Amino acid sequence: MNRTLIVALGLVLLAGCSKKTKEVKLAATAGAAPLSYELRLGKDTYQHYCMLCHGESGAGDGFNAFNLDPHPRDYSDPAFQKKKTDAELADAIRRGGAGVGLSPLMPPWGHTLTDAQINQVVLYLRTLERKPE
Amino acid sequence: MKTDSFRLRRVFAITSVAFLFTLAISPAKNYFREYRSIQEQFRKLGASRAHSLKDAKTYQNRPVAISQIWLRDFGNRVDRCTTCHQGVADPAMANAPEPHRLHPWTAHTPGDSDRMGCTSCHSGEGLATVRGDAHGTTADSSSPLTPLANIEAGCGRCHTSEAVPQAALLSRGRALITKAGCYACHSVRGHEQFRSEAPPLNSVAVKTGGEWVRQWLKNPRAMDPNSSMPNFQLDTQQIEELTHYLFSRPVNPELAAKVAAASQEAPGDAVSGKKIFSESRCITCHTVEGKGNGSAPELSKVASMASRGWLLAFIRDPHAFSPETRMPRYHFSDSESRDLVAYFETELKDFDAPEGILDPLHVNQTLAEKGAKAFRGLGCFACHDPAQGTIKEKFGPDLNGLGDKRAASLDFGRRTDLARTLPAWTAAKLMDPRSFSAGLKMPNYGFKNEDVQAIVTALLSLGSKPVPEAYHPVSHGTSAPIPGGAIGQLVQQYRCLSCHQIGTQGGDISTAPLTFEGSKVKRDWLVNYLMLSFTIRPILEERMPIFRIPKDEAEKLADAIESFYVNPAIPEDPFAGRPASDQNASEGQRLYVANGCRACHIIGPSGGYYGPPLTDTSTRLKPGWVFKWLKDPQAWRADVRCPNYGLTDTDALRITAYLETLRAPGAQKSSGGKG
Repeated sequence: MNRTLIVALGLVLLAGCSKKTKEVKLAATAGAAPLSYELRLGKDTYQHYCMLCHGESGAGDGFNAFNLDPHPRDYSDPAFQKKKTDAELADAIRRGGAGVGLSPLMPPWGHTLTDAQINQVVLYLRTLERKPE
Repeated sequence: MKTDSFRLRRVFAITSVAFLFTLAISPAKNYFREYRSIQEQFRKLGASRAHSLKDAKTYQNRPVAISQIWLRDFGNRVDRCTTCHQGVADPAMANAPEPHRLHPWTAHTPGDSDRMGCTSCHSGEGLATVRGDAHGTTADSSSPLTPLANIEAGCGRCHTSEAVPQAALLSRGRALITKAGCYACHSVRGHEQFRSEAPPLNSVAVKTGGEWVRQWLKNPRAMDPNSSMPNFQLDTQQIEELTHYLFSRPVNPELAAKVAAASQEAPGDAVSGKKIFSESRCITCHTVEGKGNGSAPELSKVASMASRGWLLAFIRDPHAFSPETRMPRYHFSDSESRDLVAYFETELKDFDAPEGILDPLHVNQTLAEKGAKAFRGLGCFACHDPAQGTIKEKFGPDLNGLGDKRAASLDFGRRTDLARTLPAWTAAKLMDPRSFSAGLKMPNYGFKNEDVQAIVTALLSLGSKPVPEAYHPVSHGTSAPIPGGAIGQLVQQYRCLSCHQIGTQGGDISTAPLTFEGSKVKRDWLVNYLMLSFTIRPILEERMPIFRIPKDEAEKLADAIESFYVNPAIPEDPFAGRPASDQNASEGQRLYVANGCRACHIIGPSGGYYGPPLTDTSTRLKPGWVFKWLKDPQAWRADVRCPNYGLTDTDALRITAYLETLRAPGAQKSSGGKG
């Protein structure tokens, strides 16, 4: 009886230890994966110009969103991400809401950002897609 | 005889075969080189991606060869990277797998590839044609590739300014280095004039108490999270010695007299002090419990840091205590400053502080002398008393050329856990400087992980070889003079440059550079604003402090701005010489609505408030500036968020005309705009 208890305890302890080391390793690799230079530029541009309305996660819940009617698009939505091609997203950024028949509250960025910057933003937008639960 | 010749022939035959074999080694080795199969793959990939038969043929007919970029005027650099990376400039290779992939767009690619080559940005061994050698993954490589996490280090080799466009990580790293004051101990080219903002320690004995200094030395950030002073990991003995030394330092007699006189004053009114504190917008620089900009000390425990007399004397004239401080001198009356300090003493104090935290220390000379030695030995003087640095050399090692150090030349000491690379070594040095061996002096800065990556990037950009003149980037900054004389004194008193940029100088707390302020705002508005700086953008935590500048000073400053800080490219009257239809304000109003300007701006009761409200535009802004802004907002400051709508001159003028009809209630109609 006692022996089985000790063995069982030992096993539990061992399991606990191995789990811990695994977690530490995972955390280390997660912190170590850097974004590519393009994605980083895209993220910077997004966070500087777009995040105010579209929110950090892209859910359309930025600081200035409450004040806009219609509300900014939630493009972290997987269905939306699937529906739109890169070219369509870039076009909406370039020509703005009014340019693509939507709300003029989304301004056109084609005169502010270069094509390369817009493409980088699109690249970054793709990373904002919500993962299905 | 016959056997002899047979033997000779046999020797000869064997030698010939051996010789032939030796001769064959080199071509055979070359034949089996990895780049040949890579080039073969590239030909196939290119042919499969080609849009026409002709293009496919061109790919298929590419000869197998080593290709290189030779830069005679850039240190005679020879980069053979394109031998394997054949698709770097080939748009058909977008998203292709490495090594065939098209180089991502950057400010220099594809345009400057022939001028800059590869290793100038990426490092690596340009001449090598074997992967391990070229990428420097072999042990003791003289130039390993810069890892992706620090890739912007390459930009910093030529771009030596603190902020580098499209290199946010590098820029942040450089800003962190400046903020941490690394240049006080380490030499880096271009930063020879660096002066730490650390207080000069000329009034410790009349400022605070022995117990406070002990606690501070133990862990400065625990007392003030905004402090840039690192943790020196001192033991109790060292803390005691240094504390006694600090209290033994001579106090400037003028300062001592000011503090002594102020400490005799009667206490003020805390309620009024609280009001003055929030009205003066102290949190534009300071924080209270973390709320605020954080470039100046946290104030929630300020009354447990310094005596009442010192606080009073300091608030009245900060520049007398600390000539380098970024804090402006306000116009607080004697009773107002008493009220402020009364507010500190009732609310902004450490309620858990031990009794007598501000009690003066009776100096023990023996301890003080030991402390003086420690002050030098630990390098405290480098920030707090640079005059003590009589030696030419800095206290810490020279950092120039750090980015080109071989990993094999670095002392990893006890750190056997690290990858044997320069970035890993540098990161570990920043995270835990004393973990390498005993007796190291660099203190612990408590950098966060992401800060470390940024600083490593900035440090890796410090190359050993100077970049040739032809590769020095063109500076786009406008250099504008900082006035001298009476105006210069006012600019000094109010420390305008702590927050505002003028030309290439000044801080970054304000979003409004003053370089062309005279072309932007109307003089009368400016005079009023300087006298009573009301809030322009309520969403900003950092707002212009209310200095209550006297009228004569405000007028002097406004006149100086009106005459010096103007841009001749901004017209006074943008409508001059234009057809009358350009002043069609109702059409301008339609354009304002159609372009969605109200997403960010308020006019009257509605609109967003990310941008400044436009309700009083014509009271504040000059029409020429409004027009120029509408044409190109980023010309004012590169990071302006207002989009460039690509407006025609006519449309921009019409919107200008509309905005010109908007004025603060009660303000006089200005002559510039037409309704």
